[in-house]
Amino acid sequence: MTKEELIAKLKTIVQPYIQNEEAFNNLSENTDFINDLKINSANLVDVILDVEDEFDIRIENDDMERMVSVKAAMDIVNEKLAEK
Amino acid sequence: MIGNDIVDLKQAALDSPDSYPDGKRHLRFLEKVFTVKEQDLIIASEDKHQTVWLLWSMKEAAYKVNVQQFGKRFFNPKRLECELVSNEKGMVKIDIETYFTSSKITEDYVYTVATLKEESSFKTHCFKAKKLNYKLQSEVLKQQFLKSVAKNKNYNLKTLKIKKSEVGVPKVYRDLKRLPINFSLTHCGRFSGFVYL
Repeated sequence: MTKEELIAKLKTIVQPYIQNEEAFNNLSENTDFINDLKINSANLVDVILDVEDEFDIRIENDDMERMVSVKAAMDIVNEKLAEK
Repeated sequence: MIGNDIVDLKQAALDSPDSYPDGKRHLRFLEKVFTVKEQDLIIASEDKHQTVWLLWSMKEAAYKVNVQQFGKRFFNPKRLECELVSNEKGMVKIDIETYFTSSKITEDYVYTVATLKEESSFKTHCFKAKKLNYKLQSEVLKQQFLKSVAKNKNYNLKTLKIKKSEVGVPKVYRDLKRLPINFSLTHCGRFSGFVYL
């Protein structure tokens, strides 16, 4: 999967939970889920469950701890896919 | 330092269907957010949905204090361990730190304030506001809070302003000078709340 494909998949996953349309439209690796997209923290749990389902991976709590941005989510997905 | 968190129970049911006992991914939701001990508390409670959000708001409120203390954000709800002393009083442990919580539970919302000391006196207010978009609701809440501060400390409301620090912790300024007021703001769905020391 290319970087662009991965970003596109993550973008589809977070879409239902975002509260800042402008930041969503400009989503990049550097976008922060909470500060930029204004995703509420309860919905961050949904994002994590959706990422697990989409990529068929399991995200442990230690990984979840740093999953606050698009970049971090990409790193975690790539690590988990490589372990498969 | 002080933190607060409000959960609109109706909004939470809409936004997080997995928080409901009949949600498709309910067990996975519980497992991601709550320790085994907390899950037992939820299962044993009469209103499971309410208990889920009571514990959640305790964690959020305590987390807000922790971020002010250490300036480091993280997302790991299980690292925050709740203990209930009663329905309204509780404690949250984050690593070696302990925070004291007091909550208000109604049919419509759960509201929690977390402090570093067991007996802190603070000013808090929560209110229902028309549901607006994110930015407007946040503006209304800030204005309500600043109004309360202006009244309490005898300041001119027009001189007060809120700015966020680098880690996203808001601070209050009077003209260009930062005021030593510890506070926390929260909103969810139809409800908003502020608290300050």
